[in-house]
Amino acid sequence: MVKLRARCLLVGDAAVGKSALSHIFYSDGTLFQKNYSMTTGVELLMKCVNIPETNDSVELYIIDSAGKETLVEACEKMWGKPSLLCLVFDLTSEQSFANCSRWMERVRARCQGLQVPGVLVGNKSDLSARREVQASVAKEWAQSQGLEYHETSAKEMENCDAPLLTLARAFHSLYQERRETIQNLNPG
Amino acid sequence: MMIESSPSSLGAKVVLAASSDENHPPENIIDGNTKTFWMSTGMFPQEFVIRFAEPTTIAAVTVDSYNVKHLKIEKNMSQNASQFEPVTEKEFEYTEGHLQSNAISLNGSSATHLRFIITSGYDHFVSVHRVSVKN
Repeated sequence: MVKLRARCLLVGDAAVGKSALSHIFYSDGTLFQKNYSMTTGVELLMKCVNIPETNDSVELYIIDSAGKETLVEACEKMWGKPSLLCLVFDLTSEQSFANCSRWMERVRARCQGLQVPGVLVGNKSDLSARREVQASVAKEWAQSQGLEYHETSAKEMENCDAPLLTLARAFHSLYQERRETIQNLNPG
Repeated sequence: MMIESSPSSLGAKVVLAASSDENHPPENIIDGNTKTFWMSTGMFPQEFVIRFAEPTTIAAVTVDSYNVKHLKIEKNMSQNASQFEPVTEKEFEYTEGHLQSNAISLNGSSATHLRFIITSGYDHFVSVHRVSVKN
């Protein structure tokens, strides 16, 4: 049995639904915040995810960081060294998707060459009539960035567990890989 | 010549570790064998505390590890693993494919507990294979 711990950075433009998603993660899909209140700093939530078919689990320390441009710089200082990335955009806003590249740059600058597994999440999939970003386009970009793509609806609480499970699994695989490397090391 | 020994041969125990993988328990740090190791399971800082059977004078410790970047060592003379005072700290060099081995002088400090705090690493996970003590 192994209990892993990961610092998971939750970023993306303002109002794409990062906090709504993180509260659903936290409440196991029972709580959707109906009223928007902008996150102006960073919020920390802990969520434990079991890895299926093992006795192992990953505690995700989710850092929900303000998306508003003027607040980003101050928040970046509190990101620390991330273990995982959850990048969110709004499926009904082309702009929020276009800005994902900029978010990736910011996060990469923080990672100092460290391999940080991540997911790209297109949120608000319930607003299908207003969709501006096609799944195929988002998926292609995600792949080019080494991210796995998911679509969610925080409002309908649809598919909200999937991104977290992907992240937890990726961190668990990374741990197993590293453990194997260490087992095969030569003495100094 | 000074004698270097594994802490467990001196009756020492690891009384606390911040991470645990049951296949790589913290006892592996003090068994004198670099093939066995304790591995951190994510995030920093990481720490472990070694308790000696009695107050022990320590000239130096040698730490065999992997991917550790910065290590702080603290000590106390108490029966409890609390109220530590700083002794020294060191930045380790990155090694690829083989263990880091760093001798750290403790200037003959007397201690019942030594606390090792790994404040950063070169990867998400670090391992400590052996801590040996020179009296």
